[in-house]
Amino acid sequence: MSTDGALAANIDSVVVRLKLSLLKNGLKQSGGRRAAYIGSAVAVLLFSVVQFLGLIALRGHAHAGSVVVLLVAVLAGGWAVMPLFFPSGDETLDPTRLVMLPLRPRPLVRALLMASLVGIGPLFTLCVLTGSVIAVAHGGAAYVVGVIGVVLGLLVCVALARTVAAANIRLLTSRKGRDLAVLSGLVIAVGAQVVNFGAQRLGSRGLGQLDGPAEVLKWVPPGSAIGAADSASEGSYGIAFLQLALSALALVALLAVWSRHLTKLMTSPDGSTLQGADAKSRERSSTGLSRLLPAGRTGTVMERSLRYVWRDPKTKAAWVTSLAIGLIVPVFNALQGTGSIYFACFAAGMLGVQMYNQFGQDTSAFWMVAMTISSTRDAYVELRARALALLVITLPYATLVTVLTTAMLDDWPKLPEVLGLSFALLGAMLATGAWTSARFPYSIPQEGYKNVAPGQSGLAFMAILGGMVSAALLCAPVIAGTIWLNVSEGGEQWSWLLLPVGTVYGVLVTEAGLRLAAPRTARRLPEILALVSKG
Amino acid sequence: MTSAVSVRGLWKRFGQQVAVAGIDLELPAGKFIGLVGPNGAGKTTTLSMVTGLLRPDAGNVEVVGHDVWRDPVEVKARIGVLPEGLRLFERLSGRELLGYTGRLRGLPGAEVDKRATQLLDVLDLAGAQHKLVVDYSTGMRKKIGLAAALLHNPEVLFLDEPFEGVDPVSAQTIRGVLERYTASGATVVFSSHVMELVESLCDWVAVMAAGRIRAHGTLAEVRGDAPSLQRAFLELVGAQGRDTGSHLDWLGGGATR
Repeated sequence: MSTDGALAANIDSVVVRLKLSLLKNGLKQSGGRRAAYIGSAVAVLLFSVVQFLGLIALRGHAHAGSVVVLLVAVLAGGWAVMPLFFPSGDETLDPTRLVMLPLRPRPLVRALLMASLVGIGPLFTLCVLTGSVIAVAHGGAAYVVGVIGVVLGLLVCVALARTVAAANIRLLTSRKGRDLAVLSGLVIAVGAQVVNFGAQRLGSRGLGQLDGPAEVLKWVPPGSAIGAADSASEGSYGIAFLQLALSALALVALLAVWSRHLTKLMTSPDGSTLQGADAKSRERSSTGLSRLLPAGRTGTVMERSLRYVWRDPKTKAAWVTSLAIGLIVPVFNALQGTGSIYFACFAAGMLGVQMYNQFGQDTSAFWMVAMTISSTRDAYVELRARALALLVITLPYATLVTVLTTAMLDDWPKLPEVLGLSFALLGAMLATGAWTSARFPYSIPQEGYKNVAPGQSGLAFMAILGGMVSAALLCAPVIAGTIWLNVSEGGEQWSWLLLPVGTVYGVLVTEAGLRLAAPRTARRLPEILALVSKG
Repeated sequence: MTSAVSVRGLWKRFGQQVAVAGIDLELPAGKFIGLVGPNGAGKTTTLSMVTGLLRPDAGNVEVVGHDVWRDPVEVKARIGVLPEGLRLFERLSGRELLGYTGRLRGLPGAEVDKRATQLLDVLDLAGAQHKLVVDYSTGMRKKIGLAAALLHNPEVLFLDEPFEGVDPVSAQTIRGVLERYTASGATVVFSSHVMELVESLCDWVAVMAAGRIRAHGTLAEVRGDAPSLQRAFLELVGAQGRDTGSHLDWLGGGATR
């Protein structure tokens, strides 16, 4: 028995040291990574200190109890979601790496839990929890309850993350999990917007409205662990005990679930060897889309491009970003009353960016395209089809955003000219996009969050910025026409002319851009392939 | 003897590193040709230049009488390629990938679908045809790549390491398809460093090391007096007699501590 105990302690220290080594070695890999890690560590620490001081300042506030319970609930939510979007963040998070070692689940769970307590995240959590207890605790008993609450809260948070990770390890180590990780940037951006929105509402309506949700959340672990300190301060020791017990119960339940998943994980075959069972249930029919598209190379290329918008995580992330910003900028500006109707052109501009680096989006699979381009004509049809695929989404979307913005600003007479301007801009973006795709292609790494391969950021910057400036210059005639019709006397009654003029101009510019880009593409196929294969 | 591929004075340099140092080679038509060499010999670079995917620094390449760089229309229609280290359009399903490739090659849609169905069947991919290629195993990827390369019935097929990481069952399937294809008079050029495989498959071999051709000719010519191609190859690339040494004297027996 004693040797067993010694062995278990041994495993604890081995796993904790493994975690420390992994952290240290991760930093050794490159100076940039070390700087990023130290930078983020300092930022988190500063944030912790500010948070800590803020919580202490909250001490004695009427709604302090509600604030801390909600804060802890949000924190726990973060712990639960984090492993899904940052599966590679913690190497020891993946217990399948330890599968060949002769370990029993119980000591393994304990060792992994201890290892999880090492890091910036747990430290930050500890700061928040301690600050929360200080904010609400009054009297010795409350502090005693608070200390137990902090320990329980921290363990529940960490165990929650590990349980979520273990339960979803199939997903996390599979292709779909990695696809999900690529979209995490978007989740953070959207989450930041939501937090921002919530904070603004709180600022305007006061902390009192937190009391409702807090009434519920103070019974939900790990919020209940901190709520216990609040209850103890008010002398309700029975409730405090109940709240602590709930957290302890949650911890035990989480550990049990985690242990069960871990055992299953270590004793069943890896997901990659199980296949074919559900292949039939997900048949993909190719008839719907292809029937609507033109025949020949044009339709074939369009079909693949459109499929990639949905199926390729990098392409999808880029499109979602463009669609969101293209909508948010004009509509939010209109909502706030600061908008100009011309902001509606933003949609066309943002979506036109998708034409840039067309071949980089193919990655090294571009060879399949290169093998079938043997003339300028082939290259022209290829590029034109890609532009058409873009237009299938862009044209209705830009029109919709423009109409929506017009409706919100109630400026209907301006609709034709803004639409004309949008279409001209879109044409100019497609033209410069086609040309820069041929002239300045760059690799888009398929793994991780980077959108440019190392060493090619100058190239990418030149392509996108140069392309956008040229697109704006290309649009100059239509912009000049708009200004002239708006300032000249009686010009407004002719402003509808800008719709046909802008549309025709956009088409002509696109055609010219494609004609310029095609011979360059056909001539430089091996060079383009080399440039887009670095990811 | 007519040449399927004719290479003259081919050079490629990457910075300081010379990858291919002046290759002259005539590959006979209608044969199963193996390009063998150790890792880093320049096999992939050579095949990339021959198929028009990489621009050589010097030299020229003709495939069935047409210059690869001056006459791409004629060449690209006549060759099929399975490169190593380049992706496929992995977010398409196997069937979609074949449909895409065939239509891009200008084949009529109905014909593409017919050929794709047959190729998927023969290559044992019919069950996975609606799965995305990104979820395929290595062997399945090689097979779907081979199907895409064969779809337009090329005269010459270039395969870079087609058996690398492929399980024995898939390897046998690939082999069967290739043997049938060459029997009809077409040419297969493939690279490998597995000598037993080359010995059992090829009638003609070129040995590469350090960017040069060390020997070429029929299997018997290259093998010479050596008991196997493996031995002949080790002699040619100068890797004979490297001993594992007596340093691993503790190895064997399987004690736990």
